[in-house]
Amino acid sequence: MAKWECMVCGYIYDPEKGDPDAGIGPGTAFEDLPDDWVCPDCGAGKDMFEKMD
Amino acid sequence: MTRYVIVGNGVAGVTAAQAIVKAQPGADVHLYSAEPYPYYRRPQLPAFIAGEVGEAEITHRPLDWYEQQSIHVHLARAVVELDPAARRLRLDDGSSAPYDRLLLTTGGWAWMPPVEGADRRGVFTLRTLDDARAIRDHARTVRQATVVGGGLLGLETARALRALGLTVTVLEFSTHLMPRQVDAQGATVLQSILEQQGIRVLTRTSAAAIVGNGAVSGLRTQDGRELPAGLVLCAAGWRSETTLARQAGLAVNKGIVVDEHLQTSAADVYAAGDAAEAHGLLYGIVPAAIEQARAAAANMVAPGSAVYSGTLPFTTLKVAGAELTSLGSCTIEDESLVQLRHADLPRQQYRKLVLQGGRIIGAILLNERERTNPIKQLIERGSDVSAYADRLLDEDFDLRTLL
Repeated sequence: MAKWECMVCGYIYDPEKGDPDAGIGPGTAFEDLPDDWVCPDCGAGKDMFEKMD
Repeated sequence: MTRYVIVGNGVAGVTAAQAIVKAQPGADVHLYSAEPYPYYRRPQLPAFIAGEVGEAEITHRPLDWYEQQSIHVHLARAVVELDPAARRLRLDDGSSAPYDRLLLTTGGWAWMPPVEGADRRGVFTLRTLDDARAIRDHARTVRQATVVGGGLLGLETARALRALGLTVTVLEFSTHLMPRQVDAQGATVLQSILEQQGIRVLTRTSAAAIVGNGAVSGLRTQDGRELPAGLVLCAAGWRSETTLARQAGLAVNKGIVVDEHLQTSAADVYAAGDAAEAHGLLYGIVPAAIEQARAAAANMVAPGSAVYSGTLPFTTLKVAGAELTSLGSCTIEDESLVQLRHADLPRQQYRKLVLQGGRIIGAILLNERERTNPIKQLIERGSDVSAYADRLLDEDFDLRTLL
């Protein structure tokens, strides 16, 4: 599964780790995050993220 | 072939360039920047000063990225003149560059308050990577710093200087920290958290004079205190960079005035980001720069195809022990508005909602991360929450049930 990077602040969403603070378990693909999920570092929405190579 | 030219290599310029080549593969896109660096993330400059991220990490778009995208980037090449009638730019090497569609993303500049001694060595503003390098290098040689301005940038940089081991004092002219993002009660909680980190905060005062013999040795406040300081950072706000637009005769107010299509008063000239004034507002936040850049790019490729309706103001301050998010209109006091507040000092939490006609229009959330997403959604949707107003901030009330 691909990592995704926040264009606003540089936070990297790693699906292997998820985002436990927001109730997102390890193994959750970026595409499967809820639409209202926001960057834990800066609050930007999913549309501010870009897939990493 | 349509020739697209972008002035400025910040987040708005780079986002627009990328959006143009995505919408029109093979498009002829030229991007000019007075700075010598490929695109770096400005919000990370305080972390760069603190040594937490290096230059490679904040350089989000290295040079080969432009090449892969077929974007012609011209670094260290300032645009000195715009002639909208001739559709031509003049560059600082004397050459000129024609355009069919132009985007001005000239950004902003850090405002330096007119304080005696502001030209002393060791006095800085922070806007560019060069500024950040100079601050970082100078910080290694001193022990005490004063930050003039207790807004987002001032506090993030204060945190960075503290992380380097300096003694840090923050001066805020207003009655409380971050007056645009937080109310007095929330600021009290924030200030106590900062003080626990060893950052001293003085409100209702500012710099009267910066003293020293050549280099700065201290600062005198307006209320007569003498603060020793080997480094002074002025984080007293910013202004849109509008020189080029003014000289070209474009409509300029605080920023370059744009319509709902991000077009300026000149045909085929657009503006986005910190330089642009859209709907009468200067946003000054990255999400707005990105949304404006995307809409401007769409309109440059297909005129009139995208409307920019505004961005929900959204800022987050992260310092050790505090995560402060401000959403929408969160600091206005007006009798027609309902203000709901809940403060929990021992847990260092504060939450506040501003309601207008039963709808949430703003929120301040300090160490309330799990409430951020649902509240942002409720604001964006304009949901009527009046039936739950007395319970919205209850500890056990699940806001997600309203979505």
